[in-house]
Amino acid sequence: MSGNPANEGAHGPIPAAAGIGLRFPHHGHVLQQRPQVAWFEVHAENYLGGGAARRVLERVRADYPLSLHGVGLSLGSAGELDAQHLRRIAELVRGTEPGLVSEHLSWSVVGGEYLADLLPLPMTEEALEVVCRHVEQTQAALRRRILIENPSTYLQFSHSTIPEWEFITALAQRSGCGILCDVNNIFVSASNHGWDAHTYLDALPAGAVGEIHLAGHALRTLADGSVVRIDDHGSPVAAEVWSLYAQALRRFGPTPTLIEWDNDIPAFDLLLAEAAQAAALLRSQAAASHACAA
Amino acid sequence: MPALLELQQALHAQILGDAPPADAASASRLAIHRNTVLATLVNALRLSFPAVQRVVGAEFFEGGTREFIRRHPPTSPCLNDYGAGLPAFLAAFEPASTLVYLADVARLEWAVNCALHADDAPRLDLAQLAALEQAAVSRLRFAMHPAVSVLRLEYPADAIWRAVLEQDDAAMAAIDLAAGPVYLLVERDADAVQVRRLNAARWQFAARLCAGDPLYTMVQQAPDADLSAWLAEHLACGRITGFQLHQPPAHAPPTGVTR
Repeated sequence: MSGNPANEGAHGPIPAAAGIGLRFPHHGHVLQQRPQVAWFEVHAENYLGGGAARRVLERVRADYPLSLHGVGLSLGSAGELDAQHLRRIAELVRGTEPGLVSEHLSWSVVGGEYLADLLPLPMTEEALEVVCRHVEQTQAALRRRILIENPSTYLQFSHSTIPEWEFITALAQRSGCGILCDVNNIFVSASNHGWDAHTYLDALPAGAVGEIHLAGHALRTLADGSVVRIDDHGSPVAAEVWSLYAQALRRFGPTPTLIEWDNDIPAFDLLLAEAAQAAALLRSQAAASHACAA
Repeated sequence: MPALLELQQALHAQILGDAPPADAASASRLAIHRNTVLATLVNALRLSFPAVQRVVGAEFFEGGTREFIRRHPPTSPCLNDYGAGLPAFLAAFEPASTLVYLADVARLEWAVNCALHADDAPRLDLAQLAALEQAAVSRLRFAMHPAVSVLRLEYPADAIWRAVLEQDDAAMAAIDLAAGPVYLLVERDADAVQVRRLNAARWQFAARLCAGDPLYTMVQQAPDADLSAWLAEHLACGRITGFQLHQPPAHAPPTGVTR
């Protein structure tokens, strides 16, 4: 999908290859060892200041294609976007010229207070209008298209009227944003709510998908006896998620794919091993596409 | 059907406040979000206040910061900005009242955290100062680097902070809590944060620089001090990034400051 417009940064486009989410414990290793990684993604909110963190980001940016993943814009908040935060993100985007910029289909802010989580939205026409408006404002401020990631959820709202896959498809069509397809999130949400993950994947507009996320999740038994899957990014990618990923590649073609860990972050070699596993599936899909084309 | 804003306000009250969720099934699922929010914010505070956590212990820190989070949730999605209110909260936190120096250690750690994450700024080009007319020098008011701040603390929080983080029991035992206030300058050099102790007069000068006071007021306060040398040190250390010329009242006295 190298022709996907979502991937065309000013320079350093993100290749349709396996990247790794870079977190603080691996900064030293990456700067010293310069491991063979196709691209890195970082959380934008961790690099809004100067000093050592910013120096690290500049050095990583000099050596690797970079993707910026925001966690704080709260695009689903009923009120206005935080103008100061959007300005700081825009400055970081200008300063680093990332190949991709992405955010979430969720909300975190109400009444000016930040709940440090990606909270679920009701799938309503009102919420769709709010998110569309905020995505358009963000794309105008950043002067580029962004990708929006499908959420992992544990709660559904009884007044939701739109299936999530239709909601995110409509968001992409109306706002012009791309889709960051988190395959683990689809698996987690489908499992938690009794949806069919394959139906979800098949419903997404293939041409809008500019990136895929892969991560681990946990199983937890709640007080009422029900079992939920929790998207905690603290374990290897599950076998079912790998097979769903293979289906995603067949549907979307070779797509930049990120290995994401945020809890119990393992040694870098384990991230490399998971990236290699994704890369192997990407290569076989590329070969299959090539064979079809021929 | 609740409007989006009403729904978000209700979830906020259920996650951070004491509002009861609609039913048991949603309560246990909402608890997942409450746990994530609290764990993320406690961890952010743990990263910014490591010495406070060592002093009080991990369990007490978690309990105290959960109370702080409920009363003062963050207003910025950048978690490096979260915690400015923790020192004042700890100063009034009854369960920690026997640790008289705890709030001062928290004040120092907050200043260190701010220095660590402050924006970058290029140091002042000295040629710009050299181009000034001699008569304008006393009207200078400086812009300090965003990472520079000054603290006057009742307890020797800098010595406690170092001893606690280095787990140096001998240094901790040697600290005299009654030794009087300490005057500190916090800054970032070559990407590491430095905490320097100053004498009262030098600290006063640095504090006035940080407040943006014009030079002539400093001369009035300390007519015998070698302000030129002190200013030169701040310039050489890159603590000054710019200047403006203050329009002084007509009767402002001449000064002894020279370039």
